[in-house]
Amino acid sequence: MKMMRRALVALGIAAAIAAVLRVRGSGGVPPQGGGWRELTDSDLS
Amino acid sequence: MASVAVIGVGAVGARVARQLLSTEGVSEVVLRDGQSDRLETVARSLGEGARIDVHPYAAPLDVDVVVLAGPAGSHVDVARTFLSQSIPIVSVSDNIEDARGLLDLDVEARERGISIVVGAGMSPGLSCVLAAHAAADFDQVDEIHIAKVGTGGPACAREHHRALGGTSLDWRDGGWVERSGGSGRELCWFPDPIGAQDCYRAALSDALVLVPAFPGVVRVTARVAATRRDRLTARLPMLWPSHPEGGAGAIRVEVRGQRGSSRAISVLGAMDRPAVAAGAVAALAALWAVRGQHVRSGAAGLAELVSPGPFLAQLRDRGVRAAAFYGDAERDFS
Repeated sequence: MKMMRRALVALGIAAAIAAVLRVRGSGGVPPQGGGWRELTDSDLS
Repeated sequence: MASVAVIGVGAVGARVARQLLSTEGVSEVVLRDGQSDRLETVARSLGEGARIDVHPYAAPLDVDVVVLAGPAGSHVDVARTFLSQSIPIVSVSDNIEDARGLLDLDVEARERGISIVVGAGMSPGLSCVLAAHAAADFDQVDEIHIAKVGTGGPACAREHHRALGGTSLDWRDGGWVERSGGSGRELCWFPDPIGAQDCYRAALSDALVLVPAFPGVVRVTARVAATRRDRLTARLPMLWPSHPEGGAGAIRVEVRGQRGSSRAISVLGAMDRPAVAAGAVAALAALWAVRGQHVRSGAAGLAELVSPGPFLAQLRDRGVRAAAFYGDAERDFS
Protein backbone atom coordinates (compact mmCIF):
# COMPACT_ATOMS: atom_id res chain seq x y z
CA MET A 1 0.00 0.00 0.00
CA LYS A 2 2.82 2.31 0.95
CA MET A 3 4.64 1.52 -2.29
CA MET A 4 1.48 2.22 -4.25
CA ARG A 5 1.11 5.61 -2.58
CA ARG A 6 4.75 6.47 -3.26
CA ALA A 7 4.37 5.45 -6.89
CA LEU A 8 1.25 7.59 -7.30
CA VAL A 9 2.95 10.59 -5.69
CA ALA A 10 5.94 10.16 -7.98
CA LEU A 11 3.66 9.93 -11.02
CA GLY A 12 1.76 13.00 -9.91
CA ILE A 13 4.95 15.03 -9.46
CA ALA A 14 6.21 13.87 -12.86
CA ALA A 15 2.90 14.84 -14.48
CA ALA A 16 3.01 18.29 -12.86
CA ILE A 17 6.57 18.89 -14.05
CA ALA A 18 5.64 17.72 -17.54
CA ALA A 19 2.64 20.08 -17.61
CA VAL A 20 4.78 23.03 -16.55
CA LEU A 21 7.41 22.21 -19.18
CA ARG A 22 4.74 21.84 -21.86
CA VAL A 23 3.20 25.19 -21.00
CA ARG A 24 6.51 27.01 -20.73
CA GLY A 25 8.54 25.10 -23.32
CA SER A 26 9.52 26.83 -26.54
CA GLY A 27 9.25 23.85 -28.91
CA GLY A 28 12.24 24.83 -31.02
CA VAL A 29 12.25 26.44 -34.49
CA PRO A 30 13.13 24.68 -37.75
CA PRO A 31 15.47 26.44 -40.23
CA GLN A 32 14.00 28.38 -43.15
CA GLY A 33 15.26 29.37 -46.58
CA GLY A 34 14.96 32.82 -48.11
CA GLY A 35 14.39 36.17 -46.44
CA TRP A 36 12.55 39.47 -46.59
CA ARG A 37 13.27 42.55 -48.69
CA GLU A 38 11.58 45.92 -48.37
CA LEU A 39 9.19 46.94 -51.15
CA THR A 40 10.79 49.63 -53.32
CA ASP A 41 9.37 52.44 -55.47
CA SER A 42 9.31 50.16 -58.50
CA ASP A 43 7.32 47.55 -56.54
CA LEU A 44 4.76 50.16 -55.51
CA SER A 45 4.31 51.98 -58.80
CA MET B 1 -8.52 72.59 -44.80
CA ALA B 2 -10.12 69.52 -43.24
CA SER B 3 -11.52 68.89 -39.81
CA VAL B 4 -11.30 65.30 -38.53
CA ALA B 5 -12.84 63.67 -35.47
CA VAL B 6 -11.16 60.82 -33.61
CA ILE B 7 -13.54 58.90 -31.37
CA GLY B 8 -11.49 57.07 -28.75
CA VAL B 9 -7.96 58.22 -27.90
CA GLY B 10 -6.34 55.03 -26.66
CA ALA B 11 -3.06 53.74 -28.04
CA VAL B 12 -4.33 53.72 -31.64
CA GLY B 13 -6.61 56.77 -31.50
CA ALA B 14 -3.88 58.99 -30.07
CA ARG B 15 -1.54 57.98 -32.89
CA VAL B 16 -4.23 58.58 -35.51
CA ALA B 17 -4.69 62.09 -34.12
CA ARG B 18 -0.96 62.77 -34.13
CA GLN B 19 -0.58 61.53 -37.70
CA LEU B 20 -3.48 63.70 -38.86
CA LEU B 21 -2.27 66.85 -37.11
CA SER B 22 1.15 66.47 -38.69
CA THR B 23 -0.43 66.41 -42.15
CA GLU B 24 -0.73 69.54 -44.24
CA GLY B 25 -4.36 70.18 -45.01
CA VAL B 26 -5.75 69.13 -41.63
CA SER B 27 -6.72 72.18 -39.61
CA GLU B 28 -8.31 70.56 -36.59
CA VAL B 29 -8.65 67.19 -34.88
CA VAL B 30 -11.64 66.84 -32.58
CA LEU B 31 -11.08 64.30 -29.79
CA ARG B 32 -13.70 62.31 -27.94
CA ASP B 33 -13.20 59.68 -25.28
CA GLY B 34 -15.08 58.31 -22.28
CA GLN B 35 -12.09 58.96 -20.00
CA SER B 36 -11.67 62.69 -19.46
CA ASP B 37 -8.19 62.46 -17.91
CA ARG B 38 -6.87 60.51 -20.89
CA LEU B 39 -8.58 62.96 -23.22
CA GLU B 40 -6.85 65.91 -21.57
CA THR B 41 -3.45 64.19 -21.56
CA VAL B 42 -3.65 63.36 -25.26
CA ALA B 43 -4.96 66.83 -26.23
CA ARG B 44 -2.16 68.47 -24.26
CA SER B 45 0.48 66.31 -25.91
CA LEU B 46 -0.92 67.06 -29.38
CA GLY B 47 -0.90 70.80 -28.82
CA GLU B 48 -2.40 73.30 -31.22
CA GLY B 49 -5.06 71.91 -33.51
CA ALA B 50 -6.46 69.39 -31.04
CA ARG B 51 -9.88 70.19 -29.60
CA ILE B 52 -11.65 68.24 -26.86
CA ASP B 53 -15.33 67.41 -27.32
CA VAL B 54 -17.06 66.13 -24.19
CA HIS B 55 -20.25 64.84 -25.81
CA PRO B 56 -21.09 61.10 -25.99
CA TYR B 57 -19.48 59.03 -28.73
CA ALA B 58 -22.62 58.96 -30.88
CA ALA B 59 -23.45 62.68 -30.70
CA PRO B 60 -23.39 64.46 -34.08
CA LEU B 61 -20.33 66.46 -35.18
CA ASP B 62 -19.52 68.99 -37.85
CA VAL B 63 -16.38 67.46 -39.37
CA ASP B 64 -15.20 66.15 -42.73
CA VAL B 65 -14.41 62.58 -41.64
CA VAL B 66 -14.67 60.53 -38.47
CA VAL B 67 -12.19 57.90 -37.28
CA LEU B 68 -13.69 55.36 -34.87
CA ALA B 69 -10.97 54.12 -32.52
CA GLY B 70 -13.12 53.37 -29.49
CA PRO B 71 -13.75 50.06 -27.73
CA ALA B 72 -14.60 47.05 -29.90
CA GLY B 73 -18.33 46.41 -30.08
CA SER B 74 -19.25 50.12 -30.04
CA HIS B 75 -18.52 51.12 -33.64
CA VAL B 76 -21.79 50.31 -35.40
CA ASP B 77 -24.11 52.50 -33.33
CA VAL B 78 -21.68 55.40 -33.48
CA ALA B 79 -21.22 54.94 -37.22
CA ARG B 80 -24.98 55.19 -37.81
CA THR B 81 -24.98 58.73 -36.39
CA PHE B 82 -22.29 59.94 -38.76
CA LEU B 83 -23.71 57.99 -41.69
CA SER B 84 -26.98 59.90 -41.21
CA GLN B 85 -24.91 63.10 -41.50
CA SER B 86 -23.21 61.74 -44.68
CA ILE B 87 -19.78 61.96 -43.06
CA PRO B 88 -17.19 59.39 -44.23
CA ILE B 89 -16.20 56.92 -41.52
CA VAL B 90 -13.02 54.99 -40.84
CA SER B 91 -13.21 52.20 -38.25
CA VAL B 92 -10.08 50.58 -36.81
CA SER B 93 -11.99 47.76 -35.11
CA ASP B 94 -11.01 44.15 -35.86
CA ASN B 95 -14.04 42.80 -33.99
CA ILE B 96 -16.23 40.46 -36.05
CA GLU B 97 -19.53 41.97 -34.89
CA ASP B 98 -18.31 45.49 -35.65
CA ALA B 99 -17.19 44.40 -39.11
CA ARG B 100 -20.50 42.68 -39.88
CA GLY B 101 -22.55 45.63 -38.62
CA LEU B 102 -20.51 48.17 -40.57
CA LEU B 103 -20.62 46.11 -43.78
CA ASP B 104 -24.41 46.02 -43.42
CA LEU B 105 -24.38 49.81 -43.82
CA ASP B 106 -23.05 49.45 -47.38
CA VAL B 107 -26.30 50.16 -49.21
CA GLU B 108 -27.04 53.37 -47.33
CA ALA B 109 -23.41 54.52 -47.59
CA ARG B 110 -23.51 54.06 -51.39
CA GLU B 111 -26.81 55.95 -51.61
CA ARG B 112 -25.24 58.82 -49.68
CA GLY B 113 -22.07 58.68 -51.75
CA ILE B 114 -19.72 58.24 -48.80
CA SER B 115 -17.28 55.53 -47.81
CA ILE B 116 -17.10 53.52 -44.60
CA VAL B 117 -13.71 51.89 -44.18
CA VAL B 118 -14.14 48.65 -42.24
CA GLY B 119 -11.03 47.43 -40.43
CA ALA B 120 -8.48 50.20 -40.97
CA GLY B 121 -5.81 48.94 -38.61
CA MET B 122 -2.83 46.66 -39.02
CA SER B 123 -4.90 43.52 -39.57
CA PRO B 124 -7.39 43.96 -41.05
CA GLY B 125 -6.26 47.14 -42.75
CA LEU B 126 -2.64 47.01 -43.86
CA SER B 127 -3.12 43.28 -44.45
CA CYS B 128 -5.96 44.04 -46.89
CA VAL B 129 -3.86 46.55 -48.80
CA LEU B 130 -0.99 44.07 -49.03
CA ALA B 131 -3.37 41.35 -50.25
CA ALA B 132 -4.68 43.70 -52.96
CA HIS B 133 -1.13 44.64 -53.94
CA ALA B 134 -0.02 41.01 -54.20
CA ALA B 135 -3.20 40.08 -56.09
CA ALA B 136 -2.40 42.57 -58.86
CA ASP B 137 0.22 40.10 -60.18
CA PHE B 138 -2.24 37.22 -60.38
CA ASP B 139 -4.77 36.35 -63.07
CA GLN B 140 -6.94 34.67 -60.44
CA VAL B 141 -6.54 34.67 -56.67
CA ASP B 142 -7.58 31.37 -55.09
CA GLU B 143 -6.36 31.67 -51.51
CA ILE B 144 -5.44 34.40 -49.04
CA HIS B 145 -3.95 33.55 -45.67
CA ILE B 146 -3.34 36.25 -43.07
CA ALA B 147 -1.27 35.87 -39.92
CA LYS B 148 -0.54 38.51 -37.32
CA VAL B 149 1.50 38.84 -34.17
CA GLY B 150 1.49 41.49 -31.48
CA THR B 151 -1.08 43.86 -30.07
CA GLY B 152 -1.45 47.61 -29.74
CA GLY B 153 -2.57 49.01 -26.41
CA PRO B 154 -4.65 47.41 -23.62
CA ALA B 155 -7.92 47.47 -25.60
CA CYS B 156 -6.24 45.63 -28.47
CA ALA B 157 -4.78 43.09 -26.04
CA ARG B 158 -8.23 42.48 -24.54
CA GLU B 159 -9.70 41.96 -28.00
CA HIS B 160 -6.87 39.56 -28.87
CA HIS B 161 -7.58 37.62 -25.68
CA ARG B 162 -11.33 37.48 -26.47
CA ALA B 163 -10.66 36.44 -30.05
CA LEU B 164 -8.53 33.46 -29.01
CA GLY B 165 -11.39 32.23 -26.85
CA GLY B 166 -14.01 32.87 -29.52
CA THR B 167 -15.01 31.24 -32.81
CA SER B 168 -12.96 31.75 -35.94
CA LEU B 169 -14.55 32.60 -39.27
CA ASP B 170 -12.80 31.24 -42.37
CA TRP B 171 -13.98 31.26 -45.98
CA ARG B 172 -13.71 27.84 -47.57
CA ASP B 173 -15.04 26.58 -50.89
CA GLY B 174 -17.74 29.23 -51.16
CA GLY B 175 -19.00 29.15 -47.61
CA TRP B 176 -18.21 30.30 -44.10
CA VAL B 177 -16.64 27.78 -41.74
CA GLU B 178 -16.57 28.32 -37.99
CA ARG B 179 -14.01 26.64 -35.77
CA SER B 180 -12.86 27.06 -32.19
CA GLY B 181 -10.36 29.79 -31.51
CA GLY B 182 -7.01 28.43 -30.41
CA SER B 183 -7.17 25.52 -32.85
CA GLY B 184 -5.30 24.94 -36.11
CA ARG B 185 -1.70 25.53 -35.07
CA GLU B 186 0.50 26.69 -37.94
CA LEU B 187 4.09 27.92 -37.85
CA CYS B 188 4.19 31.26 -39.69
CA TRP B 189 7.29 33.23 -40.68
CA PHE B 190 7.08 36.97 -40.14
CA PRO B 191 9.51 39.69 -41.23
CA ASP B 192 12.68 39.94 -39.19
CA PRO B 193 13.28 40.25 -36.31
CA ILE B 194 9.95 38.66 -35.36
CA GLY B 195 10.71 35.42 -37.23
CA ALA B 196 8.70 32.24 -36.72
CA GLN B 197 5.64 32.19 -34.47
CA ASP B 198 3.01 29.55 -33.76
CA CYS B 199 -0.31 30.95 -34.98
CA TYR B 200 -3.85 29.80 -34.28
CA ARG B 201 -7.38 30.44 -35.43
CA ALA B 202 -9.24 33.21 -33.58
CA ALA B 203 -12.37 35.34 -33.93
CA LEU B 204 -10.83 37.70 -36.50
CA SER B 205 -12.67 39.80 -39.07
CA ASP B 206 -10.10 39.68 -41.90
CA ALA B 207 -12.05 37.18 -44.01
CA LEU B 208 -15.22 39.30 -43.82
CA VAL B 209 -13.56 42.23 -45.57
CA LEU B 210 -11.34 40.22 -47.93
CA VAL B 211 -13.88 37.84 -49.47
CA PRO B 212 -15.96 40.58 -51.19
CA ALA B 213 -12.75 42.15 -52.53
CA PHE B 214 -11.61 39.03 -54.39
CA PRO B 215 -14.42 37.45 -56.39
CA GLY B 216 -13.83 33.75 -56.92
CA VAL B 217 -11.48 33.34 -53.98
CA VAL B 218 -11.75 29.82 -52.62
CA ARG B 219 -10.11 30.11 -49.21
CA VAL B 220 -9.47 33.00 -46.83
CA THR B 221 -8.10 32.36 -43.38
CA ALA B 222 -6.72 34.48 -40.57
CA ARG B 223 -4.57 33.45 -37.64
CA VAL B 224 -2.97 35.15 -34.70
CA ALA B 225 0.23 34.29 -32.89
CA ALA B 226 -0.22 32.99 -29.37
CA THR B 227 1.72 31.19 -26.69
CA ARG B 228 0.52 28.04 -24.94
CA ARG B 229 -0.29 30.21 -21.94
CA ASP B 230 -2.45 32.53 -24.10
CA ARG B 231 -4.41 29.56 -25.39
CA LEU B 232 -4.87 27.97 -21.97
CA THR B 233 -6.20 31.19 -20.42
CA ALA B 234 -8.16 32.46 -23.44
CA ARG B 235 -11.52 31.49 -21.97
CA LEU B 236 -10.75 33.08 -18.61
CA PRO B 237 -10.78 36.81 -17.81
CA MET B 238 -7.46 38.51 -18.50
CA LEU B 239 -5.38 37.71 -15.43
CA TRP B 240 -2.74 40.44 -15.73
CA PRO B 241 -2.61 43.93 -17.25
CA SER B 242 -1.14 44.31 -20.73
CA HIS B 243 1.63 46.63 -21.84
CA PRO B 244 0.22 50.17 -22.31
CA GLU B 245 1.91 50.58 -25.70
CA GLY B 246 2.26 47.01 -26.93
CA GLY B 247 5.51 45.59 -28.25
CA ALA B 248 6.75 44.87 -31.75
CA GLY B 249 4.29 43.17 -34.06
CA ALA B 250 4.03 41.99 -37.63
CA ILE B 251 1.69 40.71 -40.29
CA ARG B 252 2.13 38.14 -43.03
CA VAL B 253 -0.08 37.98 -46.10
CA GLU B 254 0.15 34.92 -48.33
CA VAL B 255 -1.68 35.02 -51.67
CA ARG B 256 -1.97 31.95 -53.91
CA GLY B 257 -3.45 31.71 -57.33
CA GLN B 258 -3.02 31.43 -61.04
CA ARG B 259 -0.39 33.39 -62.96
CA GLY B 260 -0.51 32.54 -66.64
CA SER B 261 -0.46 28.77 -66.96
CA SER B 262 1.10 28.08 -63.58
CA ARG B 263 0.22 28.31 -59.93
CA ALA B 264 2.12 30.85 -57.87
CA ILE B 265 2.48 32.13 -54.33
CA SER B 266 3.32 35.62 -53.15
CA VAL B 267 4.12 36.50 -49.54
CA LEU B 268 4.12 40.09 -48.27
CA GLY B 269 4.48 41.38 -44.74
CA ALA B 270 5.20 44.29 -42.47
CA MET B 271 6.85 44.68 -39.07
CA ASP B 272 6.03 47.55 -36.73
CA ARG B 273 4.39 48.31 -33.40
CA PRO B 274 0.73 47.50 -34.13
CA ALA B 275 -0.61 50.73 -32.61
CA VAL B 276 1.82 52.80 -34.69
CA ALA B 277 1.01 50.98 -37.92
CA ALA B 278 -2.74 51.04 -37.23
CA GLY B 279 -2.59 54.77 -36.49
CA ALA B 280 -0.84 55.48 -39.78
CA VAL B 281 -3.21 53.29 -41.80
CA ALA B 282 -6.34 54.81 -40.25
CA ALA B 283 -5.05 58.36 -40.62
CA LEU B 284 -4.16 57.81 -44.27
CA ALA B 285 -7.53 56.16 -44.96
CA ALA B 286 -9.24 59.20 -43.41
CA LEU B 287 -7.19 61.62 -45.52
CA TRP B 288 -8.00 59.69 -48.69
CA ALA B 289 -11.69 59.87 -47.75
CA VAL B 290 -11.50 63.65 -47.33
CA ARG B 291 -9.66 64.05 -50.65
CA GLY B 292 -12.16 61.84 -52.49
CA GLN B 293 -9.47 59.28 -53.37
CA HIS B 294 -11.38 56.16 -52.36
CA VAL B 295 -12.11 53.99 -55.37
CA ARG B 296 -15.80 53.82 -54.59
CA SER B 297 -18.38 54.68 -51.97
CA GLY B 298 -19.97 52.19 -49.62
CA ALA B 299 -18.81 50.07 -46.71
CA ALA B 300 -15.81 47.85 -47.41
CA GLY B 301 -12.28 47.00 -46.40
CA LEU B 302 -9.23 48.80 -47.73
CA ALA B 303 -8.65 46.13 -50.38
CA GLU B 304 -11.75 47.46 -52.19
CA LEU B 305 -11.44 51.16 -51.38
CA VAL B 306 -7.85 52.19 -52.14
CA SER B 307 -5.25 51.73 -54.89
CA PRO B 308 -2.70 49.60 -53.03
CA GLY B 309 0.52 50.83 -54.64
CA PRO B 310 0.05 54.56 -53.95
CA PHE B 311 -1.41 53.80 -50.52
CA LEU B 312 1.63 51.70 -49.55
CA ALA B 313 3.95 54.38 -50.92
CA GLN B 314 2.35 57.03 -48.73
CA LEU B 315 2.40 54.68 -45.75
CA ARG B 316 6.12 54.23 -46.31
CA ASP B 317 6.51 58.00 -46.13
CA ARG B 318 4.84 57.77 -42.71
CA GLY B 319 7.33 55.16 -41.56
CA VAL B 320 5.31 51.96 -42.14
CA ARG B 321 7.26 49.75 -44.52
CA ALA B 322 6.07 46.64 -46.27
CA ALA B 323 8.30 43.79 -47.35
CA ALA B 324 8.18 40.82 -49.69
CA PHE B 325 9.41 37.34 -48.87
CA TYR B 326 11.84 35.95 -51.40
CA GLY B 327 12.77 32.33 -51.40
CA ASP B 328 11.09 29.00 -51.96
CA ALA B 329 7.60 30.45 -51.39
CA GLU B 330 7.95 32.96 -54.22
CA ARG B 331 8.17 30.76 -57.28
CA ASP B 332 5.96 29.34 -60.00
CA PHE B 333 4.74 25.82 -59.50
CA SER B 334 4.82 25.03 -63.23
